Amino acid sequence: MNKDIQVSISNKDDVSILNIKGDVTAISGESIEEAYEKVSTDGAKKVLLHFDKDGYINSGGIAILIGIASESRKKEQKIRITGLSSHFQKIFDMVGLTKYTEIFPTEELALKDF
Amino acid sequence: MMIADNKIELHIPSVMGYEKIAMECAASVAKKMGFTENRIEDLKTAVAEACLNAIEHGNKMDTSTKVGVTLTVEESKLQVAVKDEGKGIEKVIVPSIENKIEGKEKPRGWGIFLIKRLMNEVTFEPSPEGGNITKMIIYLEK
Repeated sequence: MNKDIQVSISNKDDVSILNIKGDVTAISGESIEEAYEKVSTDGAKKVLLHFDKDGYINSGGIAILIGIASESRKKEQKIRITGLSSHFQKIFDMVGLTKYTEIFPTEELALKDF
Repeated sequence: MMIADNKIELHIPSVMGYEKIAMECAASVAKKMGFTENRIEDLKTAVAEACLNAIEHGNKMDTSTKVGVTLTVEESKLQVAVKDEGKGIEKVIVPSIENKIEGKEKPRGWGIFLIKRLMNEVTFEPSPEGGNITKMIIYLEK
C-alpha cells in the first residue's frame, strides 16, 4: 500500500464511489487504478471519483486519470468527479479532461447527475 | 538550503516526491511576497512539474544527481530556475487529450504544457556548467 494515498470504495445505489485521500501521482495512482479495476470487474457502470480538496495532483496523476477516462469509454461507464479544489478544476479543464467527464462541487450533485 | 541577498537556493535528490519540497518552499516565498492564493497554486504546480521533468527526464532518476532550484525575489516578480544535469529537451510535443484518450499517444507528457500555461514567462536553456535550466517568471499583480 502506498502511504501517500488512501483509496476506499463505497456504493450509493448503483454508483461506485472511489474515495481518494492524498497525493495523486504516477506512483500513488496505481491504487486508484486498482480500485477502478475492482469496481469495473464488479460491473460498475457509474463511477464517482471523490478527491480530497487538500490533495496534491501532478501530471503523472493526471495521466492515470486520462487512462481511466479512456478505459471508461471502452467499458461504457459514466465517470463523474467531485471534491477537487478550484485550482485542480482549472487544471483538469486546461488539459481537456472535462471533455470526457464532468466535475461537480458536491458529491450530492454528482450523484444526482448520473 | 542557502539564502543570499534576494536568492534562495536548494538542492533536491533526483527522487520522485522530493519535488514537493521545492514546491512548498516556492509557495512560502510567494506568500511572503504577497501573491494571491490562486497564483500560489499556479506556481506550486509549475515548480513541481519543472522539478519532476528534471528528476525524470533530465537526471533520469539517477540518485547520484541533484536538482538545483533557485528562487530569485524581485520587487514585482519571482523567478524560479530549476537546473538538472541532463542533455536537454529534444522535442516538445504539444499534448492532445483526444489522442491520449484514443490511445494514439501515451497519457503522460503534460508537464511543460502546464508550466507554460501557468507561468508568465518560461524559457528552457542549457546551463554554462552543463545540464539544463528551466526558468519561470511569475509577476506580482498589483
